[in-house]
Amino acid sequence: MIELALETRDLKVYYGNNMVIKGVNLKVPKNVVFALMGPSGCGKSTMLRAFNRLLELNSEARVEGEVRILGRNIYAPNVDPIEVRREVGMVFQYPNPFPHLTIYDNVAIGLKLNGLVRSKEELDKRVEWALKKAALWDEVKDRLDDYPSNLSGGQRQRLVIARALAMKPKILLMDEPTANIDPVGTKKIEELLFELKKKYTIILVTHSPAQAARVSDYVAFLYLGELIELGPTRKVFENPEHELTEQYVTGVLG
Amino acid sequence: MSGYNVRKLKEKLFLFLIGALTVLMFSPLFHIIYSVFNNGIHVILSRRITFITGRLSDGGIGPAIIGTFILVFLASLIGLPVAFLVGVYAYEYPESTLGKATKSLLQIMLEFPTILVGVFIMQMLVVPMGTYSALAGALSLAIIMMPYVAVYTHEAMRQIPFEYRDAAFSLGLTRVKAVFRVLVPMAKRGILTGVLIGIAKVAGETAPLLFTVGGSYQTYQIGITKPVGAIPLLIYTLIQSPAKEHHEMAWGASLILLLIFLGIFIPVRLSLREVKV
Repeated sequence: MIELALETRDLKVYYGNNMVIKGVNLKVPKNVVFALMGPSGCGKSTMLRAFNRLLELNSEARVEGEVRILGRNIYAPNVDPIEVRREVGMVFQYPNPFPHLTIYDNVAIGLKLNGLVRSKEELDKRVEWALKKAALWDEVKDRLDDYPSNLSGGQRQRLVIARALAMKPKILLMDEPTANIDPVGTKKIEELLFELKKKYTIILVTHSPAQAARVSDYVAFLYLGELIELGPTRKVFENPEHELTEQYVTGVLG
Repeated sequence: MSGYNVRKLKEKLFLFLIGALTVLMFSPLFHIIYSVFNNGIHVILSRRITFITGRLSDGGIGPAIIGTFILVFLASLIGLPVAFLVGVYAYEYPESTLGKATKSLLQIMLEFPTILVGVFIMQMLVVPMGTYSALAGALSLAIIMMPYVAVYTHEAMRQIPFEYRDAAFSLGLTRVKAVFRVLVPMAKRGILTGVLIGIAKVAGETAPLLFTVGGSYQTYQIGITKPVGAIPLLIYTLIQSPAKEHHEMAWGASLILLLIFLGIFIPVRLSLREVKV
């Protein structure tokens, strides 16, 4: 039996009275890149935000069902959403390093404010480690006191990845991380995914079937809030079971 | 072709009209600054340092300057922390009943007749204490300052793009830490602007001081329960006097007030210009 990084059981999300995720069951094995693909507005980002309870920042949103991370239901009544978010890192569609903090502080802030390191040396080490993991260290090691506004879009996004990795998350959620990045930067981030999945489980939202095909091991196709198809990426692309999936991966369906 | 020319002419005329009205609107500002400089500078130059440090009988406005600084300092001490927290509260809980009410109430307070604040404090503090005091003046100034600072704080926080809020919470920060350690520092320039505008606003207020501070220009008072002077109030008093000598002093005091105001306001404008997105 494969150990699961994340599992949803009849996951439903409502905005007000409007159901946007309509009872999704999916299983994500450990140490893979798992792509959630589908056209814009199908609920991918919403679902991703249910995985670290970030959805709760929106007072309109309501979640039903279970999300299990390493077996534990994060929507159980005794679970603190703050704890969940420490264990589940997130990278966003728009690269959002904190503009008022230096490159160093952007990586360090989660550790510092959560009191996860004991000394300055430990913090230095962890920042270096995270920047190396995010393949950014060589580009910024001489200017850690510089501000992110002087980095390219791709570098900023890798800085955000480093910020998330520094917390040593169990799972990394990525919400269309290359949507606003140029092709060169996109390639670097995609290459990084292959490295990262050795240690982490990555759940990647993308609206590009091509990207899902390039980087993922498993893919779930979401359409209008419903899970249409789920399986190993190769199988879903080469031999889809559902007609909608075929239309989507071949580009007939936008 | 001729229709086109007419249109071009109309457009030019319109632009000229708008430009002229704009200049007309701002001309009083420049005239005020010019006349205050022109009339005030002689007085200050002829009396030199005495004007700044001397008592009224020496021909100086020292107690009024000190009074204004004491009042502004005390008002800031009382008003800034409260206003800052109210602004953050209105940002963080916009949907709550109190949060919604806060926003409307701040707007009302912002436009509230300042003399009524003076009357209120007189009833609440001056009458029971039996004396005018710096404390009473500072409290009324604090009441006038608070809505400015709170509104600016709220606006500055609201201008933080939502992505950064997401980012802060996604790191597992508590609400208090996300707001005060990440988002507030991000908005600090806007908040500081509000603070300085609030200070500049109350440094020039007269009405709320009329019934609260008493106006003391012959002695330097120590202690916040004693009457103090203030520059705007002194100007008001001096202008009412029939003596020409007093009118001259009023011009000098006006120039000092203008300089204090510009000293606060110009850095605010300059710092706003450096904002990097």
